[in-house]
Amino acid sequence: MGQDNFAPQKRSSTGGGGGLPTIRNEAGAGGRNRGFPSMPRGRQMHKTFNNIKITILCGFVTILVLRGTIGVGNLGSSEAEAINQNLIEETNRILAEIRSDSDPTDPDESPETELNPNVTYTLGPKITDWDQQRKVWLSKNPEFPNFVNGKARILLVTGSPPNPCDNAIGDHYLLKAIKNKIDYCRLHGIEIVYNMAHLDKELAGYWAKLPLIRRLMLSHPELEWIWWMDSDAFFTDMVFEIPLYKYEKYNLVIHGYPDLLFEQKSWIALNTGSFLFRNCQWSLDLLDAWAPMGPKGPIREEAGRILTANLKGRPAFEADDQSALIYLLLSQKDQWMDKVFIENQYYLHGYWAGLVDRYEEMMEKYHPGLGDERWPFVTHFVGCKPCGSYGDYSVERCLRSMQRAFNFADNQVLKLYGFRHRGLLGPNIKRIRNETATPLEIIDQLDIRRSVHGKTESKS
Amino acid sequence: MLDRWLKVRRSRAKIIVLCFVVSVIVLHGTFNPVNPGYSADENQNHQSDAHSKRVESRRLLEEAQNDAAQGDNNDNKNYAEFDIAKILIDEEEGEKEKPDPNKPYSLGPKISDWDQQRSEWLKTNPDFPNFIGPNKPRVLLVTGSSPKPCENPVGDHYLLKSIKNKIDYCRLHGIEIFYNMALLDAEMAGFWAKLPLIRKLLLSHPEIEFLWWMDSDAMFTDMAYELPWERYKDFNMVMHGWNEMVYNDKNWIGLNTGSFLLRNCQWSLDLLDAWAPMGPKGKVREEAGKILTRELKDRPVFEADDQSAIVYLLVKERAKWGEKVYLENAYYLHGYWGILVDRYEEMIENYHPGLGDHRWPLVTHFVGCKPCGKFGDYSVERCLRQMDRAFNFGDNQILQMYGFTHKSLASRRVKRVRNETGNPLEVKDEFGLLHPSFKAVKVSASS
Repeated sequence: MGQDNFAPQKRSSTGGGGGLPTIRNEAGAGGRNRGFPSMPRGRQMHKTFNNIKITILCGFVTILVLRGTIGVGNLGSSEAEAINQNLIEETNRILAEIRSDSDPTDPDESPETELNPNVTYTLGPKITDWDQQRKVWLSKNPEFPNFVNGKARILLVTGSPPNPCDNAIGDHYLLKAIKNKIDYCRLHGIEIVYNMAHLDKELAGYWAKLPLIRRLMLSHPELEWIWWMDSDAFFTDMVFEIPLYKYEKYNLVIHGYPDLLFEQKSWIALNTGSFLFRNCQWSLDLLDAWAPMGPKGPIREEAGRILTANLKGRPAFEADDQSALIYLLLSQKDQWMDKVFIENQYYLHGYWAGLVDRYEEMMEKYHPGLGDERWPFVTHFVGCKPCGSYGDYSVERCLRSMQRAFNFADNQVLKLYGFRHRGLLGPNIKRIRNETATPLEIIDQLDIRRSVHGKTESKS
Repeated sequence: MLDRWLKVRRSRAKIIVLCFVVSVIVLHGTFNPVNPGYSADENQNHQSDAHSKRVESRRLLEEAQNDAAQGDNNDNKNYAEFDIAKILIDEEEGEKEKPDPNKPYSLGPKISDWDQQRSEWLKTNPDFPNFIGPNKPRVLLVTGSSPKPCENPVGDHYLLKSIKNKIDYCRLHGIEIFYNMALLDAEMAGFWAKLPLIRKLLLSHPEIEFLWWMDSDAMFTDMAYELPWERYKDFNMVMHGWNEMVYNDKNWIGLNTGSFLLRNCQWSLDLLDAWAPMGPKGKVREEAGKILTRELKDRPVFEADDQSAIVYLLVKERAKWGEKVYLENAYYLHGYWGILVDRYEEMIENYHPGLGDHRWPLVTHFVGCKPCGKFGDYSVERCLRQMDRAFNFGDNQILQMYGFTHKSLASRRVKRVRNETGNPLEVKDEFGLLHPSFKAVKVSASS
């Protein structure tokens, strides 16, 4: 029969013999052999090729998915990775919680009741005989005099919010700023109070200094002056000493310009970033008169509108302590101004923008101790707000300038020890005086403190 | 015919579907990149944007490593995107002083008559006495931290709280503070940096009687405790520790150099000179570390640190130095935080400030926490939370002077505990810290 002739062609193994293969196979149907019995070799290879392609693609997909799941080559240390990952996650969670404003122990803090606008806010019970009380106390406590070594006792007060800054760099510059203040105050025998508590939740923000100043005055009658200084102000003249003799008849010393104040009624005529308050009845009265615009909420908002309407150049925002003080001194001029000294002979507050670029020029031409535009006493970084998220100026400019001010001041401190910074930006220092076996010969010339002498006694 | 056509199409379709799946996976991988430097777990972290808070924190943790592309924009007013490392560089770096490798390290030219120099100076400068009260020496508290921002985004905040804490204690006790942020000697970096600093300060301030070194991770928790100065009148160095643990056991934690006193005298200069040789970084410190690990009990393997070095020095040369070193353990001149922080509430209930010891520790020292670094030896949660508690515990003693206290040891908020009065001077604060006796000024006889 012709069966044998067709055998090589036959791929399938259907039982039957001969006959026309196609028809038989198709009739056979079912099973794996439904294909094309007379499949040419090319076709066969094509199919194989297809299958291989699909296999490769599947394999590829599997590898990608697995790689995403377990990682390449990490099969051995997957546990360590998991622990590391847990650590990172935990750290992140903790850091985020710390940086948030939430208080962990106040789950059901009652919603803050806003101050009744009909009740005038007060800083505390009215005191009318503070001068007398204080005098009596001083005479009874001679070991806590208000004059030490011939100098009036001053307390420098500054502070910052109790929670971390919005950005880490803010805290870093707060740290540098307090180191800067520690250095100045050590050289000049001034004590520091660094406040991190909101003593009065009504007067939060820039108003927080009012209850704080009042509280410190009343608790420390031995203080003659309280010097408030913002956390973004740096001392840049380590030698300059405040000329207190100028202020014997005054109770408030503040940097500003009389013409800006009286003629232009500008909202930046004075600066409350650095000012001195004498510890006396007058100051308590001023604080009481100053405070009413402060309580947050509708009072502060409304007060803000009044201030914007009355002061030149003031943008629209809630009442701030500086504008409020200016407004107060303008509207009650006769009551207060005779005891207010508006100082501009030296930079009790020095607006940073005009100063920081000139530090090299200053170092070349002048020397510390001047306190004015030749060598500013205080460089105040108004508007930089490094503790917040956004400032009024470019971040790079602000941080660069703050670092320069810090190094500029630090150079004056390091001079005694024979060092100075290599430049005004970097942290590194270099030696400017060799070590000797007789260090005391040079100390007297260089130590900034040597100019202070005097007796210790109380003065009224 | 149709079937065949369909079959061909089916296999094509399979391939097309598979290719599509592959493309999706690859694209998914592209927009959430697989970086060979990171582990796959961290990649998943990147990818899970559902937890945006976590991503935000992660970004904060790595902000120092971020590409400062945004910093190039000079008008950028957003502090979050700024990389400070870009600007903290000096244009002129200049030559660094290269130490002569053959010369043994020395802190400075040898001085052998410091006691005499100093006493002459004190005589000619009566306005800067070394004693500011009958039993009260003039003390300078020295601490410090790196001039660069911390790696940990809240590290600087804890440094700030720590220095505020020290300012408060020192204000109450008439102690001056020196906060160091400069590396005086590049050879002695790290924990050894205090040695050249201490020597420099002693020599520059002859009016100082005692220099009190304190680590930046140590906090005062007893604001009322005044150090017993009379106890140390015959000693030149006071450290917290135990004689047996140091001299008998040679234990590397037999004492602690996180908080110690050093008198301003010749003996101290000599001690510093004897202490320093193990410090210079590099080979010297590595080799010294091996010796210390071998000689001291329980010391792990790492480079020489100042604490182990002084233990070793005291053990080896006890006859020379031991007589003038007082190892104090009657109160916590240094208090290991691990055994103290959980007991604060119990202390508040049972005891009062002014004790300085286990009942109310003077200093709580967060050894091993390293809040300025990225990861310390302990869990972040425990460290930072406990530092908050210790801070508040100390701060409460300050706030109570003014009539306030923290709402709880974990809370930043304060509440009033004493009402304002019209006669503030009649109010006495509970622990007498407003006008404490140790702050009283010596009144001159002729007034």
